[in-house]
Amino acid sequence: MDLPRRMPDFPLPDTEWAPGRGFFEAAARSELAIPRCAACQRLVWYPKPACPDCGGRALPWAPVSGRGALFSWATVRRPLWKPFAEKVPYTTGLVALEEDPRVRLVSLLADCAPEELHADMAVHAVFRPLAFADSDRALVVPFFAPTR
Amino acid sequence: MPQPLPDWGSATPLDDVSRQVAITGVGEADHSRASGRSASEIALQAVERAIADAGLAPAEVDGLMTSAGMGAQLAPAEFHSHFGTNHDLWTGPGGGMTWAATAPHAAARAIAAGEARNVVNVFSVAWASEREQMEGGPGAFHAAEPMKAVFELPFGWFPQPVYFATIARRHMHEYGTTLEQLGAIAVACRRHANLTPGALMHDKPLDLEGYLARPMLVDPLRVEDCCLISDGGAAYVMTGPERARDAAKPPAWVLGVGEGRSGAGLYWSQQGDFTATPQVFSAPAAFEMAGIAPAEVDVLTLYDPFTIVALMQIEDMGFCPKGDGGAFVEGSRLHFDGGALPYNTHGGLLSHAYVLGIAHVVEVVRQLRGEAAAQVPGARVGVYGGYTGHLASTLVLARD
Ligand SMILES: [Zn+2]
Repeated sequence: MDLPRRMPDFPLPDTEWAPGRGFFEAAARSELAIPRCAACQRLVWYPKPACPDCGGRALPWAPVSGRGALFSWATVRRPLWKPFAEKVPYTTGLVALEEDPRVRLVSLLADCAPEELHADMAVHAVFRPLAFADSDRALVVPFFAPTR
Repeated sequence: MPQPLPDWGSATPLDDVSRQVAITGVGEADHSRASGRSASEIALQAVERAIADAGLAPAEVDGLMTSAGMGAQLAPAEFHSHFGTNHDLWTGPGGGMTWAATAPHAAARAIAAGEARNVVNVFSVAWASEREQMEGGPGAFHAAEPMKAVFELPFGWFPQPVYFATIARRHMHEYGTTLEQLGAIAVACRRHANLTPGALMHDKPLDLEGYLARPMLVDPLRVEDCCLISDGGAAYVMTGPERARDAAKPPAWVLGVGEGRSGAGLYWSQQGDFTATPQVFSAPAAFEMAGIAPAEVDVLTLYDPFTIVALMQIEDMGFCPKGDGGAFVEGSRLHFDGGALPYNTHGGLLSHAYVLGIAHVVEVVRQLRGEAAAQVPGARVGVYGGYTGHLASTLVLARD
């Protein structure tokens, strides 16, 4: 499998990289999509060439609700890594999807203070532009916000 | 509580090498902050000291194990150029991290096959000096993982302190682990470093109150929960049973070796059991080979990039039931002088030096010889647990 390109506006991703392209195409339509095995219907994450349950090789991107539970999170309070230094403090974490909690999406938390967060709380995808100070692109990606 | 996924992980099948090899020499290079030294230069200093400790001449060392994964390689040509030798050197994958525990297994096989008699395993890093050139510091090689590059880095889930803060948060939720309990691990390491000459944090005391007063780096982790970055290295010499009995110092016998792996590889976010380590696969295999139970261990060193990684390994190796690690490490229970399980008695990656586990094995050997700075009285059985995330390993050592 080809590797994703390192973009001039890194850490924005290579949205053309074949194994991940469907995710960003869906996000541009404000949809969350995950590869689903056509044979057994399992959601397969991260994208893989074959379904780990049945070996099926047809794994089209399937829309999911965007609802899930906050599995865990971390609040970065001091700059650790240059590209994200401008966003400190920020909260990043893992969301277990409602359709199959084995699918854990890494995402940024939005519309909340870290003090409000608790494990397994209901969250949902919100589609927002992700940009960095020196990037020309603002890429729409799913963030997750508490469902109130 | 979520059940582990079926592809969570497995143990590597390893032949029984119990008592077929012993560690007879140990040496550390000088540990320092950015020093301008090269990794090879550091490695050679460690090798020279380990060979001298074993009572060997450089020409008697006929096996060289260097980093299988990352860090510096010490080429046979550099060995020969430094020591003025030119004999054949058997080479094999070794170094630090999990390989600091599994190198004795490969060495035992080579010695049994007559391929080598005295094998040195070495690991060194000059990461404090090289840090500015690395993406996310030592997280550099992770940034190249394709799924991380596309689905993790853009969302700020990078580098390692972020993964382990997230894991710690989930562990706190599932098992009630507290910040004070994580702090107890950092405080135990610091106290041991304060007693250990050459430890980077030798002159910097830390108590629990001081720990709790420090600011969060990546909430729920503080800087004090994270490993140091340093230049340094260490080495140890292994030999077969006949020579080990005649060695200059009491041999540390290899009783058991284990290795386990996570099915999710380097993708911590997708790990089958998010709040565990592959020690659940490695440690039982090593203890079985050794024919001992965790309760018989007198001193434990663990690859401890973060306090939470130590806590999870203590649980996963069977020193306490899963989830009870927080209560297990509280107060002075990990301290060398009267603790229930003396742990990282040199200070570990948190307070001794960031040489990726090789100095942890050196420390276990010193404990078994009675030579350690923070000596556990009468230590007979010592264990090192290695960890890289996708791999964990276990080395059980004992003296006669
Ligand atoms: Zn399938």
